[in-house]
Amino acid sequence: MSWPDWIVLALTLLGMIAYGLYKGRTSRDLDGYFLSNRMVPWYMVLLGIMGTQASAVTFLSAPGQAYTDGMRFVQYYFGLPLAMIVLCVSFVPVFRRLKIYTAYEYLEQRFDLRTRALTSGLFLLQRGLSTGISIAAPSIILSSLLGWNILWANIMMGGLLIIYTVMGGAKAVAYTQQLQMIIIFGGMTVAGFMVIHRLPAGVGLSDVLHIGGKAGKLNIITTGIRPGGKGFDWNDRYNLFSGIIGGFFLALSYFGTDQSQVGRYLTARSLTESRLGLLLNGLVKVPMQFLILLLGVLVFAFYQFNREPVFFNQSQLDLLAHSKYKDSLAWLTHQYEATETSRLAAAPSIAANAATPADRSRAATRLLAAEQQKTGYKATVRRWLDDKDVGGDSNDTNYIFLRFVTDYLPIGLVGLLIAVIVLAAWGSIAATLNSLSSCTIVDFHRRFSHRPMSTEKEYQLSRLYTLLWGIFCIAMAQLAYNIGNSLIEAVNVLGSMFYGVILGIFLVAFYRKKTGGKAVFISAVIVEAAVIFFTVLSRQGIVKLSFLWFNVVGAMGVVLLSELLQLFMKRKAV
Amino acid sequence: MDQEPEEKVPLFKKWSRWYVLVAGFLLLNILLFYFLTKHFS
Repeated sequence: MSWPDWIVLALTLLGMIAYGLYKGRTSRDLDGYFLSNRMVPWYMVLLGIMGTQASAVTFLSAPGQAYTDGMRFVQYYFGLPLAMIVLCVSFVPVFRRLKIYTAYEYLEQRFDLRTRALTSGLFLLQRGLSTGISIAAPSIILSSLLGWNILWANIMMGGLLIIYTVMGGAKAVAYTQQLQMIIIFGGMTVAGFMVIHRLPAGVGLSDVLHIGGKAGKLNIITTGIRPGGKGFDWNDRYNLFSGIIGGFFLALSYFGTDQSQVGRYLTARSLTESRLGLLLNGLVKVPMQFLILLLGVLVFAFYQFNREPVFFNQSQLDLLAHSKYKDSLAWLTHQYEATETSRLAAAPSIAANAATPADRSRAATRLLAAEQQKTGYKATVRRWLDDKDVGGDSNDTNYIFLRFVTDYLPIGLVGLLIAVIVLAAWGSIAATLNSLSSCTIVDFHRRFSHRPMSTEKEYQLSRLYTLLWGIFCIAMAQLAYNIGNSLIEAVNVLGSMFYGVILGIFLVAFYRKKTGGKAVFISAVIVEAAVIFFTVLSRQGIVKLSFLWFNVVGAMGVVLLSELLQLFMKRKAV
Repeated sequence: MDQEPEEKVPLFKKWSRWYVLVAGFLLLNILLFYFLTKHFS
C-alpha cells in the first residue's frame, strides 16, 4: 500500500475514534452507558441496526460470492422484512414497556431466573466466540493480501474501537455507526463507478448484465427444486423458500433475541422511533444487498476485458510455488497466461461490434467461451491447495474484491476502501462489545451479587467488562489464526446451532401464555442437544439439511415440545 | 409497569399500513429479481 493510502486510512480511523470520544459523553449510569438515555432518533437506530449486522466480511465476501456463485445469495435476506414486521407487532412494544436493558430480563419476568440465565449465557458463549472470528476473518484476508503482521491486523480490526466503546458506551457506538455507514456507502458507490469507468469504451451496464446473465451470475431467484422436477433440495443453501422461511426465522432470532441488535433499538427516543428504524431496515436491506452483489457481477464483467489471476489470494500461490507442485504450477501458469493473452486480444473488438441487444447477447456468449478452460485451470489450483501435504486454503471468494481494489483502483481510493472494510468491522464489533458487557453486568453480576452497588460503581464495572470482552475477543481472534480454518468453520456453525432455540424460548414467551418456565427450560435443553446432534450429522454428510433450516427446527422444536410438556405436567398435577 | 404514551404514526394513519408497505415492497423486489433472472439468463 502506498503512503497516500496509509494517510487516508490513518486519518479515517483516527478521526472515527476522536468522533466517538467526542460524541460519547453521557450520564454516568447504566441508562446512559447502555441505552444512551433512550434519546437516539430513528435514522440513527436504522444506521445502527444496519451497521451492527454488516460486518467486514459482508463487504469482502458478498461481491466475491456473486463473482463465483452468482447473485442468489440475496435470497438469504428475503425473510428479513417479514421478521421486522413481527418484531414491531410483538417484541418491541413489550421490551419498551418493561424498560429493560437486555432482552433476557424479560424472560425472568415471564418464566424464571434459570431460563433467563440459560438464554443470556448461550448468547454470551456464542457471541463471545463468534466476535473473535469476526475480527480474525478480515484480518487474515488483509494480512494475506497486504503482507501485514496478523497481530497488528487483529489490533487494528478489533482493538482500536475498544477506546471509544469503553469510554462512551452505546452513545459512542450509535454516533460512530452513523458516520461509518455514510463512509461505507460512499466508498462502495465510488468502487462501483470505478469498475464501470474502467470497462472498455462502449461497454455499459446493459453489456455487464448480459455477460453476467450468460455466465449464470444473475441467478437472483432460484427455487431449490432439483433439475427435472425431482423434489426439493434441502441441502441447497440459498433459494426462494429457504430464504423466506429459514431467513425469516434467522432474522427474527437475530433482531429479536440477540442483544447486540436489541440494544440498538432500545436506545430509541420512543416506541415509534424504534419501529421506524426497524421497518426502514426491512425496506432498504434487500435492495442494498442486491447492489453489493451487483458489484461482484461488475467485477466479473471487468475481468472479461482484463487479466484475471488464476487465484486471487497470491499468498496461496506462493505456498504452492514452494511445494511439490512447484513445476506443475509453473507449467499451468504459462498455459493460463497464454489463454488469457489470446482472449484479451479479441475481447474489445467483440464488445465494440455489439450494437443491438441481440448483438450484445451474442457478444457475451463469445466473450465467455474461454471461461470453461479457465475454470479448469482454477479447479486444478484448488485441488493442489486441498492436498494435505500443502495445507493451503482453496477458498478464494473473500479475496476477489479486495484484490481488484489493490490492483486496479487509484492511489488514495485503495486506502479509503481498506478503511471501509475496517469501519464495517468496527461498527459490528463495537455494538457486540456493548451488548456483551450489558448482559454480563445486568443478567449476571448485578442479578447474582448480594452486595449493593452504587450507580457510579455499576458504570465503572460496565466499562471494565467492555474492556475485558474486547481483550477476550482479540485473544480469540489470535487463537483462530493459529488454529486455522477448522475453528473458524466450527464457530460459524456454533452460531446457527443456538439461534433457533433462543428464538423458540421467546416465541413461547410471547405467544403461548399458559406455558410455564419449567416446560420451556426442559424443552430448550433437549432441543439444543438435538440440534447439536443433527449439526454433527449434517457436518458428516449423514443428514442433508442446509444451516438456515436449523433455525426453523430449533425454534419450532422448543415451541412444540414445551407445549407437550406443559400438557403432561398439567395432567400430572390434576 | 409504565405504559408508553400512544404516539402518532408517521406518514400513515395506522402501523398496519407500514407493514403492508414493507411486505409489498419485498414482493415487488422478488418480482423484479425474477424478471432480471429470466431476461438475462
